[in-house]
Amino acid sequence: MTALLLDGVTKDFGDKRAVDDLSFAVRDGEVFGFLGGNGAGKTTSLRMVLDIIRPTSGRIEILGRRPGRENSADLGFLPEERGLYRTMTALETITYFGRLKGMTRGDARGQGKVLLDRFGLGGSANTKIEKLSKGMAQKVQLATAVVNAPKLLILDEPFSGLDPVNQGLLEDEIRTLSERGSTIVFSTHVMQHAERLCDRLLLLAGGRKAFEGTQDEARATLPARLTLTSRGTPAGLPGVASVTQAGGRDGWTDWDVRLDPGGDPGDLLQACTERGFALRRFEQSRPSLHDVFIHIVGGEEAQS
Amino acid sequence: MSNPILLVAAREFRQIANTRSFWVTLLILPLALAIGPLASHFMEKPHTETVMLIDPSGQAAPAIAERIELEHQRQVLQSLSRYSESHDLDRADPKAAWAAHDHYYSDQEVKAFIAAGGAKRAEAEMQRAAAPDTKPFDEPDPDYRIVPTPAAIGARGPADLARILPRLINPPRKDHGAEPLDYAVYIPADFASGRAPVQIWSDGGVAGQLMGVLQDTLTRAMRLHFLEAQGVRPEMANAAQLIAPMIAVNRPSPGKGHEQVIIRSILPLLVSYLLLMSLMLSGSWMLQGTVEERSNKLIETVLACVSPNQLMYGKLIGTVAVGLTMVAVWVACAIGAAFATQGMIADFLRPALAPLSQPSVALAMIYYFFAGYIMISMIFLTIGAMSDSFRDAQSYLSPVMLVIAMPFAIIAQAVLRDPSSLGVRIMSWIPIYTPFTMLARLGAGVPLWEVIGCGVTLATFIAIEVVMLGRVFRASLLGAGSKPGLAHIARLMRGRE
Repeated sequence: MTALLLDGVTKDFGDKRAVDDLSFAVRDGEVFGFLGGNGAGKTTSLRMVLDIIRPTSGRIEILGRRPGRENSADLGFLPEERGLYRTMTALETITYFGRLKGMTRGDARGQGKVLLDRFGLGGSANTKIEKLSKGMAQKVQLATAVVNAPKLLILDEPFSGLDPVNQGLLEDEIRTLSERGSTIVFSTHVMQHAERLCDRLLLLAGGRKAFEGTQDEARATLPARLTLTSRGTPAGLPGVASVTQAGGRDGWTDWDVRLDPGGDPGDLLQACTERGFALRRFEQSRPSLHDVFIHIVGGEEAQS
Repeated sequence: MSNPILLVAAREFRQIANTRSFWVTLLILPLALAIGPLASHFMEKPHTETVMLIDPSGQAAPAIAERIELEHQRQVLQSLSRYSESHDLDRADPKAAWAAHDHYYSDQEVKAFIAAGGAKRAEAEMQRAAAPDTKPFDEPDPDYRIVPTPAAIGARGPADLARILPRLINPPRKDHGAEPLDYAVYIPADFASGRAPVQIWSDGGVAGQLMGVLQDTLTRAMRLHFLEAQGVRPEMANAAQLIAPMIAVNRPSPGKGHEQVIIRSILPLLVSYLLLMSLMLSGSWMLQGTVEERSNKLIETVLACVSPNQLMYGKLIGTVAVGLTMVAVWVACAIGAAFATQGMIADFLRPALAPLSQPSVALAMIYYFFAGYIMISMIFLTIGAMSDSFRDAQSYLSPVMLVIAMPFAIIAQAVLRDPSSLGVRIMSWIPIYTPFTMLARLGAGVPLWEVIGCGVTLATFIAIEVVMLGRVFRASLLGAGSKPGLAHIARLMRGRE
């Protein structure tokens, strides 16, 4: 089943096109990364999913339904720009948002207490938000997003502003919710988080989809990169796009080798063997998502 | 209760009710009502003023004392007359002086009243027609009392008196215990000749009434002296002093005429003022809340759960509930003060509450109050949605409040002067002034067609206002960091963006 579907969604603000013909699907139970640089259209897309703003054209489906507040019982949302009512207590805040999502007062309070305990804030349940530290307030905000055990949790730049400890806590919470069956969509431009959490991801550049797929598929878009140590230059070997000398000793030279797009490192190894090309080292380096992002989004943004 | 609008409204209400300023404001009126009687007690005329007459000839002082007593009894008679008219007691003795309400009482009538037994006798007669709960007559205190002149002073000449008397008039604190003296009047033995002046010592201005008594009495004595010197027989000269015109006074009975307009307009004007006051307060609290939502970046979290319209209506309902709670508490306190207490405030409030006895007037007042609240709160709400800080909000709010609140004083004065004047009637048809003007006018009576016409116009205006300002509210919610100008607001109102 599809938890979230966008089909040809476009959003214009006056003359400016923020999201351009965006289509993607998030499967039930997935952790889906929504990646893009600043101004790529991530927040606008998520706001449309939540019906905070309406698309200029296109179709959106959430859990098989049209966007609207009637979905709020099944949704959780943590916005990029966070804030809470300063004069409400932590528990009151969670209860209030739980009730806005259709929970009964008793259920919302009960779940609120459970979450505060889990986040180490059980003793601050009746403390006003204005008296809490920023980190504590951010945990309360996370609790307001997940109080209703949402089927679909949308997190907009959830790691921004968090210290490493709270980043870890949030990662754990995302994994826990995922294990319990929630579908999670989160936007970020910090690739390490996406690398650790995402089943699939979408790269957005200039409001347009640049890539959608698994991490392996994303990495496959980059030319293979190898480190060779040989007597001679590998520049003339078949499938090699470029070589850069990276050091060497005792007559051996280290080479940073890039293959042609789609080139297979196995084919190069076979060619070396057949031609008697002496190798002391043949090491394939796995591209990071950061490299993928720079490769895909950097190029797109340079064009836009 | 799981309706998001009511949840938002309840949160708004709780947030405002948790502020100290809400409770201070809420308790202001009950405190004022409690302090009022005390204040009025202290603000009453301090005391009957004392007058010492120094009259070496011994002829003028008795005439002045008699005149002062006569003037006091005239006041008593006038008060009795108003009392009888107010409580419908004339039928006890229709021929009595106090049963005549249409003229100034002559000296002869006052003397006849005194001779007949004065206020005590009149009260006893009125008792025959009085209802069991009729409040007893409260005789006014005399304005002046003659104090005895010490022999040591009575024998002194003007030069000595000029030295001694200033020390006796309002003596310093160390002389506390001595009878205070407000005025000392020296009447020379030959004052009638016009050669020696009558002298008055006082620590301030001399009351016009005392001056009138002195001038009248002494002038009579001088005229008598003059007429006798001209050879007019003493009995003729005395008769000439008694010649006085009869003066008829035409005015409505108590609680009628302009007095009725004023008394009946008090409550509506008060309600109109309460509307303005409570709107300013609850509106500014709501504004702070909305600004907080925007500036604290929590608006997006809220909008993920409730639609902008639900948020807007919830805030409106919450604010109106705060305002109505404040007014309900104030009105309950006023009614309590009116019917459970005695004294000046109760006497003032009881007739003022009379318009509420007419259901149509009460209904119209509730409608205009409620409509006024929604109309102005909507403006506050929109300003809050456009502002990142309270300072931002002030720049929108100041001109708006100037337009709304400034004419209030003019409306109040115009209504008291003439509730059906053209200016007031025109203001009634301008929607932003309709609630205030109609509330202020309702006590004095407004034609039904005008009540309905203005009510429908106001309702239409509010409907259009909610639609247009609702567009600005929705469009501004997520626009943190941008402060729309007038042209932009106008475009938003038309739904062009």
